[in-house]
Amino acid sequence: MEQDGAERGAARRLLAPEARALRLAALLSVIAHLCWLPMAGCAAWVLAGLVEGRGVSLGVILGFVACGLARGGLNHLAEGVAQRAALGAVTRLRGELLQVVSGRAVLPRAGALALVAGDQAAAIVPYAVRYGMGFARAAVVPLVILLCAFAVSWAAGLILLLTGPVIPVFMALVGHAAGRASRAQFQEMSSLGALLADRVAALPDIRLLGAGQRLRDEFGRAAEALRARTMQVLGIAFLSSTVLELFAALGVAIMAVFCGFSLLGHFGFGMWGAPLSVGQALFLLMIAPEFYQPLRDLAAAWHDRASADAAAALIAQEMAEAPAMPGLGAPAVPLAVGGIALRGLRHRGIAYPDLDLRAGEALVLTGPSGSGKSTLLRLLAGLEAPEAGQVLVAGQALDAQNADAWRAGLGWMPQAVHFLDASLEENLRMGRAGDLDAALRSAAADHLPEGLPEGQATRLGERGAGLSGGEARRLTLARALYGAPGWILADEPTADLDAGTAERVAQGLLAAHRGGAGLIVATHDPALIAAIGREYRLGAP
Amino acid sequence: MMWRIWRVMAAGGHMGRAMLLAVVVLLAGAGLLVLSGWFISATALAGLAGAGGMFDVFRPAASIRGLALLRTTSRYGERWLGHDATLRGVAALRLMVLGGLARAPWRQLQRQRRGAALAQVVADTDTLDALPLRVVMPLVAGLIAIVAVGGLIGWLAGGVMALWIAGTHLGGAIAAGLWGARRGPRTAAQELAARAAFGRYTLDLIAARDDLAIHGRLPHQLAQAMQAEARVAEMAALQDLDERDAALILDLTRAATMGGALALGAMGVESGAFGPAIAGACFFAALALGEATAPLRRMVTEYGRIRDAAQRVGPMLEIPAPQGTAQTGAVLPLTIGDLTLGAGQVLAVSGPSGAGKTTLLERIAGLGPDAEPPIRLGGIRPTDWDEGELRARLTMVPQRPALIAGTLRDNLALAAPVAEDAELLAALQAVRLDHLRGGLDLWLKDGGAGLSGGEQRRLALARAILRQPQLLILDEPTEGLDAATARAVLAGIRQALPQAAIVLASHRPSDLQGADFRMELS
Repeated sequence: MEQDGAERGAARRLLAPEARALRLAALLSVIAHLCWLPMAGCAAWVLAGLVEGRGVSLGVILGFVACGLARGGLNHLAEGVAQRAALGAVTRLRGELLQVVSGRAVLPRAGALALVAGDQAAAIVPYAVRYGMGFARAAVVPLVILLCAFAVSWAAGLILLLTGPVIPVFMALVGHAAGRASRAQFQEMSSLGALLADRVAALPDIRLLGAGQRLRDEFGRAAEALRARTMQVLGIAFLSSTVLELFAALGVAIMAVFCGFSLLGHFGFGMWGAPLSVGQALFLLMIAPEFYQPLRDLAAAWHDRASADAAAALIAQEMAEAPAMPGLGAPAVPLAVGGIALRGLRHRGIAYPDLDLRAGEALVLTGPSGSGKSTLLRLLAGLEAPEAGQVLVAGQALDAQNADAWRAGLGWMPQAVHFLDASLEENLRMGRAGDLDAALRSAAADHLPEGLPEGQATRLGERGAGLSGGEARRLTLARALYGAPGWILADEPTADLDAGTAERVAQGLLAAHRGGAGLIVATHDPALIAAIGREYRLGAP
Repeated sequence: MMWRIWRVMAAGGHMGRAMLLAVVVLLAGAGLLVLSGWFISATALAGLAGAGGMFDVFRPAASIRGLALLRTTSRYGERWLGHDATLRGVAALRLMVLGGLARAPWRQLQRQRRGAALAQVVADTDTLDALPLRVVMPLVAGLIAIVAVGGLIGWLAGGVMALWIAGTHLGGAIAAGLWGARRGPRTAAQELAARAAFGRYTLDLIAARDDLAIHGRLPHQLAQAMQAEARVAEMAALQDLDERDAALILDLTRAATMGGALALGAMGVESGAFGPAIAGACFFAALALGEATAPLRRMVTEYGRIRDAAQRVGPMLEIPAPQGTAQTGAVLPLTIGDLTLGAGQVLAVSGPSGAGKTTLLERIAGLGPDAEPPIRLGGIRPTDWDEGELRARLTMVPQRPALIAGTLRDNLALAAPVAEDAELLAALQAVRLDHLRGGLDLWLKDGGAGLSGGEQRRLALARAILRQPQLLILDEPTEGLDAATARAVLAGIRQALPQAAIVLASHRPSDLQGADFRMELS
């Protein structure tokens, strides 16, 4: 597999805290596989005894079985140790990743991050378990078997020595080409999956348009074309593993024939002195396949490392240094309600004029798209720290120490709300105390829960469980009004709404302002600008 | 359920050939080891007896090489045919699922579309590719190999040895399988659920981070995500434990089988039942059969995942086809109780949210159950119409229409696969969507992302116009449009379809003006 330098070894670096456990697992796994040597020795001794007509001792057979039990037990243990370490590592990585990323000032796309934290992080497990132990076995077991073979017969050792290295060489050659082809293939496969998912999501409409049969025909053709291409790629991959297997099988066959001819006395070479005994021959025959097996296991696990390295690089990239959000986003006792002031504020290339607002005042932020209205609202909420200058809240500079307390007194109305996968009530309360019914009434949303399947207990999802845009906006308003915040920050609260709903939302905000709350609204809406009066104008970017 | 899915996937006979080769692989592997073991013991005996020159070495030696080649080539064929058959099987399964979903009750489809349920079914069809590759083929091939090798041993060394070797391998396999089946399916389902929960909490954590931080809920949400993660890890550890346990059972069985084969071999040679070469062959047969049971290790957890997936996919295959058969005539006039709507007329339905506007429209479109007031399309109950014939004459645009990933042209082609570009552009113009940069080649992402909500709705209306229906049913067609655009769009539709009867549900008073009939629901 091709990897660039940055990726190579990325997974190993991430697993550094688990290195000890993984080394132990590798050691146990190597010992388990070496158990085959005494097993082969015992079996060869017993069978040779039968051929040579000397008696067979039960003890040796029991020794064989005991080694077999030890082998099974050690394998069980080794994999358990590795698996536990790997799962622990994934948990640790996910925790760190979510902690770091959710504390950022500016966030990545949620879907992409969920993928990295979910599927990508999980790619560490097969690497830590299969590849890690496979690598250790491939490094030790063939060498030990080779030494054993040489100890018995230099010719037998030579057979292994000559056929063995062919495997990794071939693996590298074919794996390289097959890996590239299979990655291209994988992308195509997942795009077919995406095609199906997309079409399935549109099925109701497809049915209404009478296009069901056509859709199935289209999909059938796409699947058939994909199958043909997939089989071409798999053909290469299978061929490569077949070549590996062929070398292994031929190696064993050559070993068997060499032993047979030596025993018959046809071959007189290859030994250190005494002629080959039947026991030695059987021993060689039994250990020969185990010489190749670790190499083939490693070949099968090869792509585990590549995918783990790719995943680790992605994780590292997500965790790279970036400006953090002030504060923890944790619950806090609200600051005493006070004024807001801006002093020399400059952020992301925009200079914001100074401003002074007393508690309970109202202000509209206006300016063309991209002039920094939404960014200013985020600065006012302490979600980003300004590059230069200060936001003063209740007389103190807004910073990491008081950000949580400041935010605890804010009502927040984003332009597009993302409802949590939780009940409507939890989405509105968000852990705060207050009078929910009153907030719903003020937002003209008190009848909305009745239209939902389970009222306030209805679980909302990403798309708001069938709420229309206007309904979602009114619920967002209710959430902003809930708990009687000292300041309400609203971003385009009336955009994309029909006239009636826009009017109701505007009235809800103005009523809260009349009730004493300070109000800062970013908007293009002339009606809302006129109603609030005081304007803070931002220029073109 | 599993059987039904297997039959869909195995149709065509490709699986059978792959399975045959899988048996050849196992038998050739067993033959290779048995022959090698026998060969060495026999040559040693001949060498000891000083009869080395008499021994026919060439046939066994050639057979050993031949079996090695046969094994590798049939292995290649087995994998090729197996994967080919599986890809065909998965494609067939997906087509069946797609067909079943298209027949699913309307409400169920609407409800599932938004949730993860449908995405899950799609993912499940992927999981099911392990059914032939990792379960059925290894199981059947392994069983045949054990029985065949057992038969060979019985012929060479008698029934006791055969029963011991085949019996313990089978017994070990059954024990490992039962151990895995004990809680495998439940663990698999719980792991899947936990992974989905972790995904949702993570998505919420990032997508709603600002909201969470302002409300002081960030640590809470983080804890929830990590709680789900802990559950994922717990279930993964359980699955791994089951898998390792199964492997341990198989390992212990193998050690006992081989040890027993050695002991039985020694007893047989002592009693003169068979020679030492046969004893060697039996030991190697016991060793070789380990390969036949090895796939069970993966199978125990794979089976859980497969059964879990099959439980969701299976019902999709059994959704009955709609019952309607009426094929002739026109859908007009539409009668709803006493009201009769003819060509070119408009019925406006209004009423507060929850008054049943959508339900009424769905019933007219043949998507809801029969109820009061009675509805007839050309004198025939909507549900009695043949589905295809009805859709050819009647088009409904739901409140939240769905678009597909692809170009504008692809989206419109759903409605009119053979239409010329000029026709498509005319339909776009009717809904005031001809201004979009990129025109028909404008590329939309999944679900129509790239267009605003109002533009998506208008594209769906253009799609409906292209169907040239006799009866057009529109559910809140102007939601999210400003008043001027809404008027222009409705006028454009009327102009494009002068003869169509239109049923329209709306909140907006201006939409309802100019209707021939009004229906107020409460």
